[in-house]
Amino acid sequence: MRDALRRSSSRRAEQRTATISTFSLLSLCLPTLLAIGSARANETPLEPAAVEFFETRIRPVLAEHCYACHSAAAGAPKGDFRLDSAEQLRRGGAAGAVIEPGKPADSTLISALKYESYEMPPSGKLPDNVIADFEQWIAMGAPDPRSDAATETVPAAADPQSHWALQKPVRVAAPPVSDRAWPRSVVDAFILARLEAANLKPSAPADPATLLRRLHCDLTGLPPTAAELEQFAAHASDAEYEQAVDRLLASPQFGERWGRYWLDVARYADTKGYVFQEDRNYPTAYKYRDWVIAAFNGDMPFDKFVVNQIAADQTGDATAVAASGFLTLGRRFLNNPQEINDDRIDLMTRGLMGLTVACARCHDHKYDAIPTADYYSLYGILASCTETPRDDGPPLLVDSPQPVVQHVYLRGNGGAHGPEVTRHFLSCLTEGEPQPFQNGSGRMELAQAIASRDNPLTARVWVNRVWGKLFGRGIVTTPSDFGVRGEPPTHPELLDWLAVTFMDEQWSTKRLIRRIVLSNVYRQSSAPRDDCHEADPTNALLAHMNRRRLDLEALRDSLLLAAGRLDMTMGGPSVQLTTPPFANRRAVYGFVERQNLPAFFRTFDFANPNTPAASRPQTASPHQALFMLNSPFALEQARLLAERSAAHAENAPPLADHERISQLYQLALGRKPSLEELTDAATFVVSGVESDQAAQLAAQPRWQFGWGVFDPLSDRVDFHQFPHFRDGTWNGGETFPDAELGWAMLNIQGGHPGDAAHAVIRRFTAPAAGTLRIEGELRHPAAEGNGVVARAVSTARGRIGEWPVAHGASSTVVDGIPVSAGDVIDLVVESGGEHTSDTFLWKATLRLTRDDGTVESWNTLDGIDGPRPATTPPLDRWSQLAQVLLMCNEFAFVD
Amino acid sequence: MPHNPRPEHLALTRRELLQRCGMGLGALGLGSMLASEISASAAEISNPLLPKVAHFPAKAKHVIHLFMNGGPSHIDTFDPKPLLHKYAGKNLPTENLRTERPTGAALPSPFKFKKYGQSGIEVSELFAKTAESIDDVAVIRSTYADVPNHEPSLMLMNCGDARQIRPSLGSWVCYGLGSENQNLPAFVAMCPNGYPIQETQNWQSGFLPGAYEGAYLDTQHTAIEQLIENIRNEAIQVPRQREQLNLLAKLNLRHQQARHDDAALESRIQSFELGFRMQTEAAEAFDVSREPQHIRDMYGPGTQARQILIARRLVERGVRFVQVWHGEGQPWDSHDDLEVIHRKLANQCDQAIGALLVDLKQRGLLDETLVIWGGEFGRTPSVELPKEGANAGKINGRDHNHYGFTTWLAGGGVKGGQVYGATDEFGFKAVENRVHIHDLHATILHLLGFNHERLTYRHAGRDFRLTDVHGQVVKGLIA
Repeated sequence: MRDALRRSSSRRAEQRTATISTFSLLSLCLPTLLAIGSARANETPLEPAAVEFFETRIRPVLAEHCYACHSAAAGAPKGDFRLDSAEQLRRGGAAGAVIEPGKPADSTLISALKYESYEMPPSGKLPDNVIADFEQWIAMGAPDPRSDAATETVPAAADPQSHWALQKPVRVAAPPVSDRAWPRSVVDAFILARLEAANLKPSAPADPATLLRRLHCDLTGLPPTAAELEQFAAHASDAEYEQAVDRLLASPQFGERWGRYWLDVARYADTKGYVFQEDRNYPTAYKYRDWVIAAFNGDMPFDKFVVNQIAADQTGDATAVAASGFLTLGRRFLNNPQEINDDRIDLMTRGLMGLTVACARCHDHKYDAIPTADYYSLYGILASCTETPRDDGPPLLVDSPQPVVQHVYLRGNGGAHGPEVTRHFLSCLTEGEPQPFQNGSGRMELAQAIASRDNPLTARVWVNRVWGKLFGRGIVTTPSDFGVRGEPPTHPELLDWLAVTFMDEQWSTKRLIRRIVLSNVYRQSSAPRDDCHEADPTNALLAHMNRRRLDLEALRDSLLLAAGRLDMTMGGPSVQLTTPPFANRRAVYGFVERQNLPAFFRTFDFANPNTPAASRPQTASPHQALFMLNSPFALEQARLLAERSAAHAENAPPLADHERISQLYQLALGRKPSLEELTDAATFVVSGVESDQAAQLAAQPRWQFGWGVFDPLSDRVDFHQFPHFRDGTWNGGETFPDAELGWAMLNIQGGHPGDAAHAVIRRFTAPAAGTLRIEGELRHPAAEGNGVVARAVSTARGRIGEWPVAHGASSTVVDGIPVSAGDVIDLVVESGGEHTSDTFLWKATLRLTRDDGTVESWNTLDGIDGPRPATTPPLDRWSQLAQVLLMCNEFAFVD
Repeated sequence: MPHNPRPEHLALTRRELLQRCGMGLGALGLGSMLASEISASAAEISNPLLPKVAHFPAKAKHVIHLFMNGGPSHIDTFDPKPLLHKYAGKNLPTENLRTERPTGAALPSPFKFKKYGQSGIEVSELFAKTAESIDDVAVIRSTYADVPNHEPSLMLMNCGDARQIRPSLGSWVCYGLGSENQNLPAFVAMCPNGYPIQETQNWQSGFLPGAYEGAYLDTQHTAIEQLIENIRNEAIQVPRQREQLNLLAKLNLRHQQARHDDAALESRIQSFELGFRMQTEAAEAFDVSREPQHIRDMYGPGTQARQILIARRLVERGVRFVQVWHGEGQPWDSHDDLEVIHRKLANQCDQAIGALLVDLKQRGLLDETLVIWGGEFGRTPSVELPKEGANAGKINGRDHNHYGFTTWLAGGGVKGGQVYGATDEFGFKAVENRVHIHDLHATILHLLGFNHERLTYRHAGRDFRLTDVHGQVVKGLIA
């Protein structure tokens, strides 16, 4: 392969000579590979074996353990000593030379590593075999191929082609471990071996309830119910656990969870991004989403999964046509083909192979072995395809009748043609010279090359993504960059073992996940390990499980589930998650508006739908808190959860407070509260009952306007709200008199009663307890008719005043009567018999002297309110408690 | 260091951190962590908006970007071209440059220009109030962009790239500097009645974390709950909510006791307290009725005045970047009726912009606030010709012009009272001290304390920056 690369470099060099006069621009994008080659030529040649020893045994250790403090990148290197260039290392630091080539025993570096002079690295002594490597290296004369000019920030491989990720994965045997009892599987052995080398022990297994919740959330994105947890905890065994694993892998929710992870990579959205005039939506994008979910549920072999998505038109499988959405559902960039193809190249290379090929759009990749010729070779494949719209699914990519002749676009400029390129696979992944693809655009051949066993990246990259989802951290922590600038794997042999086994097992994602979640390393507790802080601050070695926070989908789904509202319907057109009425579906079915992604998505760290997502950020912004505290969605779930917690058997009495609290805990957190928690919650509820009432009263309108009848026998009023309000008048309807309510109406000054069955009523609700006094004057101005009868009626005390008035006025005074909060006073006016000429004017003042002596008063002339806009009703104390449980960390994190 | 898993961009070793952020030691506010082995506090890692230190000391700490979307005519505002009168109604002696649509004869400005301030810079009557502060303003008459179309030019002006998804200037600045006020969004984009074209892409965070994206506010609204989502709770009164949070804190504390090493738990707890406080603070910040009457009078009536006054209240409270858009769509895009429309638009904002400069100065805030004024491009000195489906054919407007136009900067360490660069004698093209948008960006970042080549973010295998591989700091603009 290396030879192939050299050939291609020199080939380019020839082309350059030939074209330089025409394309002087080319000289600006000097192939980096040539630059590297010439730099090498100036150095004292080193034995290849010595170089390899340095590159494999020494340099990675320096990079991992030393550069942070002793490199140019560290700013002011500690002890004025840098290890990031050969010259600097030889020169030594403030205290003089640290290596004596050929004499390990005299080298300060060795005594420092052995903790005999300095103690380096300070975070913990390196394993003995590593120190032995350094001794051997110094004994060899400390061969160091690094260039002095470089201020090395990246442990660049000597030759990009020798980069680890480009070598085929090899399955090596499980390493020997001291604690033979611990590993349950080969996976565990690889993890344990690294832990033991660092003098760390793995953690104890998580308790059964924790483990089951972890498993549920990881496999389905939904927590288990309290009953499931209890049942499992009571009968926890390996067999039970294994059954749970198989049950969850077989559940349809598995595909919804893992399908969504894939949609992050596929930069899935339901819209095209910015458009000028055309329709912004991909109305059938959801068919691709549903295809992905079904593929995961059916455990479609991953290689086939990949081929389907790149060459859906050529698989002969009619059910796979929707898979074309993978490529065609990207941003449209105002239909600029260069951008569209670039997006697709990025998706196929970075998303599937962890290679940043898009970097080679304007110049050869600066670090990885990817020349622009490779980029434009892939570009040529896509440019040789056309898109056909379909009514019943995302657009389908098909080969054009005639493939295009593709040139390199110099510096990415479509108007500046460089050399012609064939349509072929990436040269860094090809043995020998890349051969031009033969069939049509070559897209199918490309798909097969990506999904090939011979491709060293595809399986590794996917296995690593899966591992990352299950542990919160990949074996390679840059899951979309397996290039030279990406992070090296923490457990390279494990990664390879998993990748090879995965391919051997028909690329089965379910078997891969099953293998991982059955391991002991997955089953570990996430309890803090104080002994790991120093030795392994990022838990790269997995001495314990990582705690993870629910992502947007899991959080929203869990809220709906706790509220008893989650609709498990699968598939179909996308639903709006952020506008009321809120969809009850799982969040994976939410409409993703690529252009103006609603704040909810951004606030909760949704994957950017414009680019294949490597991973999601995990922020803790106050906007997330505000959503949980104030959003209508969160309040609605709290209210529903509270209602649900009160449910009791039909014939049983309502739940006692402590029973209801216990229910709440089980519904929200899957467990019963502790005694302490029970007490806290009970206190919270009780202390709030009064304030609840006050809040409800305060939220209630002071005045309501209606009609009804005063019944002298029962001393009660039958009140109905007026149905219609316009221009300051409440009455029976748009036409007046109303067919049913007749002349009955109320306005700010007074009103007019209807017939005997339709007295008019101004209803007042007392906001607080105290003494209420009514003053006022009632007038019946008309000279005709027989007047009206007015009464003040209290719900608590019946009739408290009665004033018949005809053709004149009467003062309406009620001396202070005691009222309680919520008491209702009705000002009722009925006709004196004949209900014509019954227009009345009534100004009344209600003055409340509260028990604490404060006085408040309301006058009928203050105004007349129309219907109140629907406002969120106040959340009662139980709902407030429910909301607290939905907001707590226990709800949001998975141990 | 805490043990919780981190996403790719947060799970940084120190080495990664330095590489990825392309900043020196002490940048990012993580100095303590880097300098010693002390672990970063919970908040430092998971709150990407904590204040950070720039590359070098600088005056500007905040930015107010007054975006005249649609493309205000430089010839009618800050770049007088008296020679156009000589050619009025006649073809220019030089060929008209190619713009989006065909243009014809010279169209002299209908507006009067006058010299202002000690610097004697000429400004048209449209911005007479703004011009009263001209001695604090650096008028760049030689800005230029790449193409005469709104979409790519907006993207270039805001994100440094005409086509691809890239973080906006405001996002870069917040990434570099964080925010001084954790109770308010770090980056606010205000636009009344809806979005400009290109919509939220104008303030997108691109591949930077979403926390750096501009928070959009539709300033046609005045009620806080309509301005900021979830800022109010109608269903629970504040004292009750406090009780909820107290109970929540108890629950979380108990939960945390057995998990004491996890910074993510602590930062989530903090986020609730922050959110709670934000309710009060945000409501206060956006309520211009709290300003004394003489200040409100100074800014004048209307939506522009209100949102520009809000901008001042925000930077005063430590918000890092405020973008003020004139309105939905492209209001300044006067293909027809330029005289009427430009006069109307300038009337809406001139008094408030003038007031902003005076107000910032009298509060001592102008020094630390960089004010940017401009559109995505300027307009042609030649009249736009009728074109079916493109304009109303009134032959009294101007086409887009990216070859040369005016942008001005004030405050924030800018050398005010100067005209920088020039267009040709007709105002078609920048000819002297040309300032490309990349140069403008480099200069803006410089004013904020950044070497634009070192403010980088690792994404998709490479270190990206606002200016990509371009950009020269314009020294002449810096005091």
